[in-house]
Amino acid sequence: MAIFSLWVINKAGGLIYQRNFADGLAQLTSNEYLVLAGTLHGIHAITSRLSPTGSSSGAQVIEGETFKMTILLTATGTKFVLLTSLAEATADSVLQRVYEAYADAVMKNPFHTPEMPIRSEGFDTRITSLIGTGQP
Amino acid sequence: MTIYSLYIYDRHCACVYYQDWHRTKQPKRAGEGGGILNAVSQAVSPLATDSAAPTPSAFSSPRNTLSSTSGLVVAVGEDPVTPLPNPAEHARSNTLPFDEEAKLVYGVVLSLRNMVKKISGRDEQFTSYRTSSYRLHLYETVSGYKFIMLSDAATDGLRFVLRSIYNGPFLEYVVRNPLVPMDSRSQGIDNDYFRASIDRLVRGLSVFN
Repeated sequence: MAIFSLWVINKAGGLIYQRNFADGLAQLTSNEYLVLAGTLHGIHAITSRLSPTGSSSGAQVIEGETFKMTILLTATGTKFVLLTSLAEATADSVLQRVYEAYADAVMKNPFHTPEMPIRSEGFDTRITSLIGTGQP
Repeated sequence: MTIYSLYIYDRHCACVYYQDWHRTKQPKRAGEGGGILNAVSQAVSPLATDSAAPTPSAFSSPRNTLSSTSGLVVAVGEDPVTPLPNPAEHARSNTLPFDEEAKLVYGVVLSLRNMVKKISGRDEQFTSYRTSSYRLHLYETVSGYKFIMLSDAATDGLRFVLRSIYNGPFLEYVVRNPLVPMDSRSQGIDNDYFRASIDRLVRGLSVFN
């Protein structure tokens, strides 16, 4: 039960926010995170085309052996990705609350340029109070 | 709860086997020269245009005894070697041809596998992903064969099934079958015993309804 990391990916596939919480995954450079976010953006588009039955959303949960990535795609195309342990059951609700914080502290901020990296202390504070150190 | 399809890829990134069950959106046949190997699946291999075209496999019988839609054994006698054109072929215009679909599935799995390794910083395997309508499971053997199964979104992990396909039918009817060229780069591994054996195994699962 741990939350490792939070990513926010804009609708063009650029990583606009990335923050680590609990330890347990590799520490990568910001450049590597950017590449991974772009890859995820592409994969997400392809997964919706591979549906064997009717139309499908893109990938919502991606699982490895020790962690999973839960992806929330908003109506505007922004993706919120939460990296957690496999047993973490609250990932979906945490992502909903991150989206709320994003709407309040980022989109309502007159100094924020849409689709650009998020540099907002208010958002950081809200995320800290929401996730903390990522440990239960 | 159901199972849609099974893909097997070898370590040269080529699709060597395909089978589907409750799949409502059927793939179109692979195009000629689309890079799909012989003997992957008679249901999706390119239509033979003339008698000089290579037969799907030297040893597999031309009859297709397993209908993927009804689940019944439909043909016991010998069918013509050339499969008849499917009248519903044009109705599938919004779906992908099989050769392109196979490449997309492999690309997604390979990217996710590398991503999981990178993020974890260990030699950790990617196991599955889920969308709103299906779930994809991956089991990779040490020899580089990738077993990929698509199931209903609500099913639990199915790696144990893929593992038992590897342990059972795959070892029995592919690895120990002298007529199946492993690692040939030109031939899939489809044969009647293998197909029937997988079909039995999958239909016997509690998640298969």
